[in-house]
Amino acid sequence: MKALTANRLTDGEVVFWANGAWVEHFARAELFDDDPAAEAVEAAARAAITQAVDPYLIDVQPVDEGYAPVSYRERLRALGPTNKRDHGKQALGGPEVDLLNRAHGTARSSGRVNLIKRK
Amino acid sequence: MYRYDDIDKAMLADRAAEFRAQCARRLAGEITEEQFKPVRLMNGLYLQLHAYMLRVAIPYGTLSSAQMRALAHVARTFDRGYGHFTTRTNLQLHWIKLRDAPDILDYLASVGLHAIQTSGNCIRNLTADPLAGVAADEVDDPRIWAEVIRQWSTFHPEFSFLPRKFKIAVTGAREDRAAIRIYDVGLRLHRGEEGELAFEVLAGGGLGRTPYLGPTIRRSLPVRHLLSYLQAILRVYNRYGRRDNLWKARIKVLVASLGAEEFARQVDEEWAKTDHAAVDLPDTELARVRAAFAPLGFQSLPRVSTAFEAAKSEDRGFARFARNNIVAHKTPGYAVVKIALKAPGETPGDCSAEQMDVVADLAERYSLDEVRVAYEQNLILPHVRLDDAATVYQALARVGLATPNIDLISDIIACPGLDYCALANARAIPIAQDIARKFADPDVAEDIGELKIKISGCINACGHHHVGHIGILGVDKKGEEFYQLTLGGSGADDASLGQILGPALPAERVTEAVDQLVGVYLRERQGSERFLDTYRRAGLHPFKEAVYVDSH
Repeated sequence: MKALTANRLTDGEVVFWANGAWVEHFARAELFDDDPAAEAVEAAARAAITQAVDPYLIDVQPVDEGYAPVSYRERLRALGPTNKRDHGKQALGGPEVDLLNRAHGTARSSGRVNLIKRK
Repeated sequence: MYRYDDIDKAMLADRAAEFRAQCARRLAGEITEEQFKPVRLMNGLYLQLHAYMLRVAIPYGTLSSAQMRALAHVARTFDRGYGHFTTRTNLQLHWIKLRDAPDILDYLASVGLHAIQTSGNCIRNLTADPLAGVAADEVDDPRIWAEVIRQWSTFHPEFSFLPRKFKIAVTGAREDRAAIRIYDVGLRLHRGEEGELAFEVLAGGGLGRTPYLGPTIRRSLPVRHLLSYLQAILRVYNRYGRRDNLWKARIKVLVASLGAEEFARQVDEEWAKTDHAAVDLPDTELARVRAAFAPLGFQSLPRVSTAFEAAKSEDRGFARFARNNIVAHKTPGYAVVKIALKAPGETPGDCSAEQMDVVADLAERYSLDEVRVAYEQNLILPHVRLDDAATVYQALARVGLATPNIDLISDIIACPGLDYCALANARAIPIAQDIARKFADPDVAEDIGELKIKISGCINACGHHHVGHIGILGVDKKGEEFYQLTLGGSGADDASLGQILGPALPAERVTEAVDQLVGVYLRERQGSERFLDTYRRAGLHPFKEAVYVDSH
């Protein structure tokens, strides 16, 4: 399962794709079962150059009653820095943040689809 | 300090206006990210994990109080009320919005600050001895020469597309407080046999994936030829430095592959072909720059301050601060006050806007309007009268800036790591916080003495882990954060690269391992040995055994 993420052009905010628009919270991200569908959305998002910078697909896995990015790096992007818990999206708190915090497992290298290609 | 003249100011204003236009074109979709990225990077604007990051240059780590206040203003107005001082003595703002960046650069330009030379494959912002103009062991003020190089290298067309970035550090003192052996070029001023001022030139140092300590390629370069000789070094590097492999593109790889002697020969050959007079500054211009660093208006004061001595005997906290954070100034009656941005549990190098304002006020009132940034991610008030030291200490303590731990175990260097940086493999900050909390007791820290822990979140080594007495490198091991420890590194006069202790440890084992290493040191140390001395005498084995004994 995959989600599409990027940083918003105007302010660098971490954003996720959801049914035709960028949203700020991973919990609202659209999840793709189907790789071709995900790649088509990625291509469309890349073409819209004034909205977001460098959109890319990430792997997502089920966690408890919801979903979380597979990679630690992507969970950290979805939450905020661990040295300042009042910064980033984690500042809002709530069950969606708790769920991301409960997820664990693979770090940077395996979560990002096409990491090598991007570099 | 050097104040920007009309030419400098016009350059900054032009640059800021140009960037404003480029941002507008990007936001309007007239240029793509691919086209815009090199432009924003040339203006210090990176895109990191959570937001844009602006890296503001602090040339050779020197700030006026007005500039420090401007940084506080930017942090408060455009960021989240704080900034992060780095091992390159720059300031990083981690929550910047692209749409604000032009206003920020305009504002910074109004006080002579900018983000030029903080990114890209150019000659980067210079670093220098943070005790420049202050230390008694200095033969000349390195800031003069750092400023000369800054002016020469800014927008230098020939050196704007080097194989890789190029970093220069300068010291004018006998003791190396600028870590010159880990730079692409290190410069050390000294007096030649006939008393003339000369540079010892080192080239090819650097950390990263392949660390090297820079060898000396010229013992004694007459100072007037600094720029022509640097040009010769850069021409050889520009011609032969590898552009085919990012990991082999730094000058250190070229120097190592040719050998220092052959590299020096090629530089000499190039230098001999150079029209020195066309590059080296005329004496009048050197004198103009030198005048900007003329000795300040120091008062004539007794060497011993009764107020200082009395404050130490009355206040044990101040006495401890004085022992660890105050060092001698070459002028009688003055002292250097070091401000550790290392309160246990806080992020190394972070400074709030409120703290910046307090430091700026103290600099203006008590330190002849000057602040320095040290590569250890600390600040310095360089010219404080001993009579005022206790007052300064109290003002610092009120805003959490009086941690008495300079060069002690909790004075840890840590890069931003995976909490912010797009390149990192693992976090560095929480490891530093955890170790500092463990050794927060100042009596314990003082008993352990000088112990420099340096942490990097990836092999790029922004946290200087190779030259930490204990170095810690974050790695991604099968998808988890692991940390590889090295021992015995040093970035000082006794420079050396650390040796790997053993297999990488999981995050939760790192502080315990540091505690075990300290335990071995306390058991084995002889006389006044520092941790590093004991390691060098006793070797890796007892330390390795302490950390890995349960693993066997």
